[in-house]
This record gives sequence, structure tokens and C-alpha cells, in this order.
Amino acid sequence: MTTLHNTSTHSRPIPNPSKSLITKLNMGTGLVVGVIFAFAAYYTFRPNADTADFYNQQNKALLAAMLFWSVGFLIGIGAFIGPFRWLIGKDLTAEEQLYLAGDGQGIKRYFKYCTDHKVVGIQYLVGVMAMLAVGGGMAMMIRTSLAVPGGHFIGASVYNSLVGMHGITMIVAMIIVATGPFGNYIMPIMIGARDMAFPRLNALSWWILFTAIPVLCSAWFLGGIPTGWTAYAPLSVQAGPGMNAFIATILIFAVSTAVAGMNITSTVVAMRAKGMKWNRVPIFVIGSTLSVALAIPAFPTFMLAMIQTTTDRVFNTGFYDANVGGSGWLYAHLFWIMGHPEVYVILLPGIAILMEIAPVFVRKPLFSYNAAIMGFVGIAGLSVLVWAHHMYISGWTPTLNGPFMVTTEMISVPTGLLFLVMLGTIWRGKPWMKLPMLGLFAVIWNFLIGGITGIYLSDVPADNYLHGSMFVTAHFHYTLMGAALTGAVAGLAYWFPKMTGRMLNEPAGYIAFWFTQIGFQVLFLGMFIAGAEGQPRRVVSFAAMYKYSNMISTGGAYLIGIGFIILLWAVIHSWRKGDIAPQNPWGAKTLEWTVPYPVPLENFDETPIITSDPYGYGKGI
Amino acid sequence: MSNHDEELTPTPGQRATNLFKRADVQRTTVFGILWTAVFVVLALYFYPKWMPEVMSVDMKSMERIMIGFTIISAPIAGLVLGIATQAITNRHKGDTPPPDGPAVRTNGPVVAVWTVVSGIFCLIAIVWGIVEVNTMANAATTEAGTAVHVQVIGSQWVWSFKYPDQGVESDKLMLPINRPVVFDVISEDVNHSFWPVQLGVKVDANRLQTTVIHTVPTKLGNIDVKCAELCGLYHAYMETSGKVMTTDDFNNWITTNGGHVA
Repeated sequence: MTTLHNTSTHSRPIPNPSKSLITKLNMGTGLVVGVIFAFAAYYTFRPNADTADFYNQQNKALLAAMLFWSVGFLIGIGAFIGPFRWLIGKDLTAEEQLYLAGDGQGIKRYFKYCTDHKVVGIQYLVGVMAMLAVGGGMAMMIRTSLAVPGGHFIGASVYNSLVGMHGITMIVAMIIVATGPFGNYIMPIMIGARDMAFPRLNALSWWILFTAIPVLCSAWFLGGIPTGWTAYAPLSVQAGPGMNAFIATILIFAVSTAVAGMNITSTVVAMRAKGMKWNRVPIFVIGSTLSVALAIPAFPTFMLAMIQTTTDRVFNTGFYDANVGGSGWLYAHLFWIMGHPEVYVILLPGIAILMEIAPVFVRKPLFSYNAAIMGFVGIAGLSVLVWAHHMYISGWTPTLNGPFMVTTEMISVPTGLLFLVMLGTIWRGKPWMKLPMLGLFAVIWNFLIGGITGIYLSDVPADNYLHGSMFVTAHFHYTLMGAALTGAVAGLAYWFPKMTGRMLNEPAGYIAFWFTQIGFQVLFLGMFIAGAEGQPRRVVSFAAMYKYSNMISTGGAYLIGIGFIILLWAVIHSWRKGDIAPQNPWGAKTLEWTVPYPVPLENFDETPIITSDPYGYGKGI
Repeated sequence: MSNHDEELTPTPGQRATNLFKRADVQRTTVFGILWTAVFVVLALYFYPKWMPEVMSVDMKSMERIMIGFTIISAPIAGLVLGIATQAITNRHKGDTPPPDGPAVRTNGPVVAVWTVVSGIFCLIAIVWGIVEVNTMANAATTEAGTAVHVQVIGSQWVWSFKYPDQGVESDKLMLPINRPVVFDVISEDVNHSFWPVQLGVKVDANRLQTTVIHTVPTKLGNIDVKCAELCGLYHAYMETSGKVMTTDDFNNWITTNGGHVA
């Protein structure tokens, strides 16, 4: 890979293997080959409008086009050149490998198949921000439509599609929001590694994910995703051609998370600097590694569920069709066996970021590192045993509701440990109220509300009423957005100086913080009320009795919208013209703050040797 | 690590007194009590206000849980938010990092007490939930004989109701008061979820697979019947109404609709 014996990364000549094919390939060639593959696949499987199984054929042709687009793009951008050259016995030369790492290529490397983990981190960051912006725009449309009873703003069809598209866009964005940018850019430096364990797989995970974005967007032109992001069968089998975009997105995304998860896990296991024993690993590394490790077993079941949806739609197999012995419950199980671990995949890195931030800004050690580990491990372990709490009211074996209630409520104990660690760290400290630290306080409140309402929902009699209502929607927004996204934004404010070399604009950051957090409370407290009053979720129209709670929610949504626009402006403006950041603006002790900006290609001139954990703050007691 | 406590060797009582003399502990206590009060008020005043009328035993049980769980979690929320609020009042301003805090890496007794206490709270929630679930299940078995049977059919995008014992079909859900009712729910197409809101129960309607729920309406009044599972284009409009009526009114309704009183 890119690890060289030469330790000085500055005096090296810029690699220019001009005869090699890899210098000719970039996003543009990827797009061209991808589109050609897509059209070729569609033409090969083109549906015949005169036949009875036209819809099956259409699904087959569209899915083939989407999946071949992805493969074609990856071939076109040069993702497989390394393995291919190895196959024919002409492995890449050292110069070509350096070229692949983007050495000395400036901004161009962001549009190429670049193996440098820092480039991949920035690609993920920009990608995630784009996805959050699109998903947030759809949320604004949903709330606008729900401002008044009756659903006059948009029709039922568009509304249902918006709900599905908002859901899946945000879920995908949230899964990668912390482990994508920070797990790739910061984490290897934090553990003292020169790069990821598998740099080519690292680039692969990003570019696979990238190919899923146009596929997901194509749903708009194919009639939308009318099923919500849960895509329950048999509704998804009945749904129109837009459903193929959802299926293809999940299939592609599942491969991307598997590749990324394996890579990050291997990196942390194998690439830590000398002396970094497990009890000296920064807590963000632990949290994000557990998160991606949890995704490795979780996503294949979703992929399997989607493959079965595909065969039901294309070949009439009937996995989910009760007429021929299938069952919609099968889908629900496969979906939630992924779906519940997945919320912790999202949550753990967000909380871990805050645990990384807290000691720096109160100048105290992390309180009970061991409790933090137990909390993360406990949550990750229990999260695979709770999935059927999403199925209390499905009618599936009511006798098992009790056991699943027990496992679900047990999660409150490790979750409590996470609170203990955050509170113990700020206790007796003087918190330095910079932007990252504001995030910590917001998350304590949001995660508390999300946690308590989660206990209601885990209880069968309460869930009998609340399931499928706006109360559930409000609950998971408190955990996913209020806790995980706020944690990730705090991480952005914290690591922005290291990733961009500039400080994030503080006044704009504060204004954005207050707009988003106040708007958030208004929106979702209103939604809790609507749910308690009995408003189902995913409805385009609601009765007049829910008028006030919905109006409040819409008002809150607009505040969030304003806040995120300000934040986006702050990020773009600061990235271009912000104050130049010192190497270690927060006085933190983790390794990423020991390297300069721009971070050298292989991070460290000399690999560090670790003698303690990075939380040696504070004075003796 | 030096430890002043060992040099002074205070008794546990003295240590507790010393602890409560500290300004940050006092502030935390005050904030904690205030936050606890906020959650108790939320539970006792606002929840009953927001939730619809209690018209069945299950709705009663649901309301009890919402209020009970909130009151149980109020002191925990109070402690968490009390510490956080205290920290905010003690914040550091300026562009340089704050002075070093005490290098406390852990506190064994605190971690132990926290874990055990949260375990106990968790256990209370579990036991409460299990008892309620069992009560419901037992009621469903013992009362099945006297119950009104209603077959609920969900199809895109209407609900319809059959009373097989009485020989009546209806698009409104009519129920007699204080008599157990068993809903046999089924779908003709995709998944729906049958939700008579004020009765506090809910079950999915699946194709070719009857699901069953049970409740006892305890109050006269109107019921909103909704669908709680996204079921396609007009999911939002898949609703109807119903009524809990006196036994006489129910029997009259049966006979006027061509049925026979069972």
C-alpha cells in the first residue's frame, strides 16, 4: 500500500506515472462508463409492453440498470485497477501507489479514486452535508404540508414519497455522519496510524456510497418511494417502479458499509501506534469502531430482505406473499434485525465524540473510561436482542412481547452509564463554552428526553397506544437528530480546525446552535403532543383536533431550517476565508492535534509511541 | 495520588455533611429538585390533558404507565439535568482554556451506586410491564366466553366490521359498554394497523392471518378508528368512527340493522 520507508513526506518528487491508466481516470470517466453500463443493462433486459408480466420485466430492467451503473462507475473510476494488475502479475509500482494516494494533486484528488484517508474523510463530509441538506429540505416540505389540517399543500402521492425519501436519505446520511468524515479523517491519526489498514477499500467504500446517491435520487423520476423507509412488504411488492431505486440503494449501501466497517475495524485492531493498548485508545475510536462493527452483522439482513423483495417483484417468488405461504412478518423480522442495531450504529459515534470533547473543555480526565466501555459494549450487545419490540402490535406471537420488553428495557442500564460518564466528566469542572461543548449540553437534554420516551415505547401496554403514532416519530428524532446529529455537529466544530486548517466562525455557529436547538425542541415537543393526542405518523392529512400541535411543530421546523442554513454558510465561509487555526486550538491531548495542517500524506514523520491514555488533564486531588 | 480524606478520616456522616456544604452540591440539589418538579407536573397535569378520553381498561393501563414511568424517571431526570444546569452556571468564558479541574479518573462507589440504582429502576419498569401484560392476557382468556366478537377487515383504504354472532355488518364500530370485546383483525391486501384510539389497543391487520386483541370499553362516547401502518396512497384517510353505547342501545342497533341479539 502507501506505506513507504521514506519518512520525510515533503522532499519527495511529485509522482507522475504518466504512462499508467490510473492518471487518466476520474469521476468523469466513472460517470461515462457507469451511464453506458446502465443503458446497456436496461437495453438487454428491456421490458416488453405487450406481455402480461410487463411490470416484473420493468423492475428487472430498472434494477439491472441501477446496479450496473454502480459497477460501471467503479470500473470507470479505476476502482479495480489494483486487483486487476495484481491478477495479471503486474502489481502497481510504488510511484503509481503514491499517485493513487493523491500525492501533490491538490483539489483534483477529491474527484479521483484516492486512497488517502484524509481525502476520503473530506469526501464523506461533503457527501454527508449534501445528503443532510436534501433530506432537510424534504423535511421542510413535509412540515409545510402539515402546517394546517387537510393536507392542501401537496397531494397524498407526493407526500408519501417525501416521507420515504426523507427517511432513507437521513438514515443513510446519519449512519455515515460521524464514522464517514471523522472515522476516516481523524481516527487513523488518533491511533497513530499512517493510513487505514486497506486504503483502496477505503476509497472503494466512499465511491460505492457515491454511486448510491444518483440511484436514490432517480426514485423521484420513477414515481417515488411510497412505503416509508421501512418499506414493509407486501406494500413494497405492490409499489411502483420507484421502489427499485430504494432496493438498489440499500443493496449498494450495504456493500459500502460492509467494506467501510471491515476496514475501520481492521485499522483499529491492527494499526494502533506502539504502546496504544486497548485501555489507552481514545473513546471516540472505541465508540465508532463498535458502531461499524455492529453494522457488519446488521446490514446483510437488510440486504437479504431487499433481495427477497426483488425476487417477489421480479419473479413472483412470494417470500412475503401470504397467498403462496409467505409472510409479511418475515420482512419485518429481517428489517428490524438490522433496524434496531442500526439506531445504535448511528448513536454510538455521536455520544463517543462528546466523550472525546468533554475532557478537553473541562480540563478533567474522562470520568470512568471503563464505564464508558461497558456502556458502549452493553448497548452494542443488547441491541441485537431487541428487534421485535418494533413488532409488539404486529400480532406476531404476543407471548414473546414480554421477553422483548425485558431486553429492551435492560438497555437503559448501559445507556445510563453513558450519561454517568458525561456527567462525571463535567462535574466539578468549569466547562469552556465553545461550540463543541454546547453540543454536549444539548445532547444531555435531548438524549434524556429520547431515552425516557423510549422507556414508554418499550412497554407493551403503552406501545399498544403509541405505536405508529407521531409520538414514535418524535422519540426517534430526539435520539437520532437530537443526540446523534448534534454530537456529529459538535464533532465538526471540534475537528474543523484540523480538517480545514481554519476555525469555524463562532458567532454564526452560536446563532445556528440556538436556532436549531430551540427549533428542535419546539418541533418535536409539539409532535409528542400530537402523538399523545392520537395522530398517526406518515399521514398527509390530519383532523382539526391536532391543529395546534402541528402548527407549533411546523414553526419549530422552520427555526431548524434557518439554523442549518446559517450553519452551512458558516461552514462554507469558514472553510474558504476563516481565521487560520493553530495546530492545537483546544489544547487537546489526542494525537491528531500533534500533526500540522495540512496533514502530511502519511500523517507522522515519526510514528508516535504511546505511554498513557489521552485524558491526563487536571491537577492532583 | 494523594487523598486528603484518608488523612482526616471523617466518618461517613461528616463526609455527607461536608459534601452538602459545598456550593456546587447545593446548587445541583436545587436545580435537581426544580427539574424533578417539572417532570412531575408534566406527568400529572399535562399527560392526562393531552391524551384522549380513557374509554377502556387498556387505555387506563396505558395512562397509568405513562404517568407512572414519568414520575419514576423524574428524579433521574432531575439529577442529570441538575448536574448539567449547575455546570452551565459554573461555565468558563474567554478564548483560553479554563483552569485545570480535579484529576478525578473514576469513583468506584459512585459508579457502583449509579449502576445498581439504574438497574433497580429498570427492574421496576420491567416488572410493572410484565404484570400489565399478564393481566391483559389473563383477562383475554377468562372473558372470552362472554365477549362480543367483532371481525375487523382492513382493505385499501377502508375499515369494515362484521359481528358474526349477531349477523350484522357495518362500517362503523359499535360496542356495548362494560362487556369484553374481541377483535379478530385481518387485511384483504397490504398491512394495516387497526387503532380504535380511545380504547388504547392496536393490532396489525395482515393478509390471510387473523390477529386478535381484546379490551373492555368502560365509558360511553365516540371512538376514532384509524390506521396506524402506512398502507399506500390514502393511508391518512383510512379512518372511521364508532361508539361505545349502553347494552340496550347496542341491542337496538343490532336489530335495526337486521341482526339478532345473541
